[in-house]
Amino acid sequence: MIMLFNIVYQFGDALSFLLLSAIGLAVIFGMMKIINLAHGEFITVGAYGTVVSGKVLHLPLPIAMAFGVLVTIIFGLILEKLIIRHLYGRPLDSVVATWGISLIVSQSFLVIFGPSYEGLQTPMGNFKLGDYSYSEYRVFLIFFSLSLLALLYILFMKTSFGTLARATIEKPEIASSMGVNVNNIYSITFAIGAGLAGVTGALYAPTMTIVPSIGQAFIVSAFITVVSAGASPFIGLVPAAAFLSTVQTSVTFFYKATIGIIALLFSVIIIIRFLPKGFSGLISKQK
Amino acid sequence: MKNNIKKNKLPIIIFLILGIVPFFLDSYYLNNISYFMCWSFISLGLAVIWGMGGVLSFGQTAFFGLAGYSFSVISINFLGVAGVGIWSPILALIVTGFFGLIVGYFLFYGGIYDVFIGIVTLAITLVFETFMQQTAGPEYAIGPARLNGFNGMQGMPTLGFQDLKFGLIEGVTQYYFILFLAAIILLGLYKFKNSKIGLIFLATKEDRDRVASLGHNVQRIQLIAFVIASMLAGISGILYTNWGGYITPSSMGLVSAALPVVWVAASGKKDFLSVFVGSIFLVWLSQTLAINGAQFAIITMGLILVVTTRFFPDGIILMFKNKLIEKIKWLQS
Repeated sequence: MIMLFNIVYQFGDALSFLLLSAIGLAVIFGMMKIINLAHGEFITVGAYGTVVSGKVLHLPLPIAMAFGVLVTIIFGLILEKLIIRHLYGRPLDSVVATWGISLIVSQSFLVIFGPSYEGLQTPMGNFKLGDYSYSEYRVFLIFFSLSLLALLYILFMKTSFGTLARATIEKPEIASSMGVNVNNIYSITFAIGAGLAGVTGALYAPTMTIVPSIGQAFIVSAFITVVSAGASPFIGLVPAAAFLSTVQTSVTFFYKATIGIIALLFSVIIIIRFLPKGFSGLISKQK
Repeated sequence: MKNNIKKNKLPIIIFLILGIVPFFLDSYYLNNISYFMCWSFISLGLAVIWGMGGVLSFGQTAFFGLAGYSFSVISINFLGVAGVGIWSPILALIVTGFFGLIVGYFLFYGGIYDVFIGIVTLAITLVFETFMQQTAGPEYAIGPARLNGFNGMQGMPTLGFQDLKFGLIEGVTQYYFILFLAAIILLGLYKFKNSKIGLIFLATKEDRDRVASLGHNVQRIQLIAFVIASMLAGISGILYTNWGGYITPSSMGLVSAALPVVWVAASGKKDFLSVFVGSIFLVWLSQTLAINGAQFAIITMGLILVVTTRFFPDGIILMFKNKLIEKIKWLQS
């Protein structure tokens, strides 16, 4: 029983990590078709925003987190206006440009904040089950990531903003001729994606050592999950993340963590090969 | 016609200048230029696959590392055997090309397209890095060759003929060897670009389906180009390993994978000569900047990448080259 709970806990932890790392990218890549290689750096900005405001301004953790998210949204909006906006419709160029941004941001953080920054304490307590002790915060993250995803699904599928956003992404010219301010929709969608990456950074900031390359821990998992999720990310994200975390937890259980990561990378190669439309393609096919 | 002749003079002038450089520089600077030129091959490979075919691959770095590691493993295993400095790099290159063939087959015949190729190749590169990083233990050894995890491999023999006086590829010999190799490969790439296969490959960038409907085997041509690109990256890997006498997993990391993309994008991905010259210049630039700290060099490379894609999508070096040619034309008329 405790063994089972242990496995479920590990699985849930891996699941929420994949979901949260992918959620901002799912909006930017899934909705706008922009490969944002600077996604990890958005997470970095969120994490630093939280930790620095918590340490320097002595804000309580939830407010510090909100501050971190706000900083990331502003950062994303500036980038969209200066660079990303000019690269719509040039997917390969947007890959290259966002990679440049990622290099600049991560190395600038290294220059400004040094190789590592004093972290915050993990909030909430621990609870014991048998001989093992578990973090309540990690359990909270599992539920939080799932509800955040549900919220996003409602935002993009059920509200009028979501309809406008999907219409703009599908056929920008027609949406524009119907009186939709296309540029605004792009900016807002990008800002939502950036903000979600900020949320990820803020949520994981108290659980990790804060280093300038913190975003790199997320970027690979983010891409793997979004690519496996496929064309409609909000539907595919949960099954994709569930599958991938099953692979990772089981391989890590039997071998070691690095082999788990390698297995993860291999499974995405295989998923793209056999399910080019990802898990969401599989679901819509069955319907 | 006249225009053509002028265009062909430029590479000859550049190679003549590079050819007489050793008479004016001491061995320290010469070795540095050799190092810069080492990297031009990986860029040329990316220019083939990305500039000509529009397939952005982040796998170049994986092939770079694979070639470096296989050269090290093979040559250390056959240390002292006659001619090891000649056939072990060739064997390593064949291994790399074969791996490129498998990966490319999987990509192109597997129906993976566009940005997904970028993601899959990036994943392959990172798999390689992650795997090599955890090979510190003694169980990761091929014969006497330990893979050594983070620290990487050392102790491979120098390329070339061990018994001849100037047979070893180091110092001035290394410089001329790399220069000669670059000239041959550039010539070959120009031939490839103007060959039938090259032209079809160029066309696949514009419209893959139309090329296929004209009866060409698109997958096969993309695969050929991918293998050429991977072997060019392999040449860089072997030369780099030979130059420094070591190869480490960090040569396959995220940052390392970004650098060839920066060089090629900033130079002008459609023109091989610009890529060759631009890579040398940019590797020099990052080395110079790195004296004040590696992070400043990387920030500059990132800035160059963003600025070129935003404002000069055709590349800066290519733009200068075209301006130069125009000026010469104007002077002559």
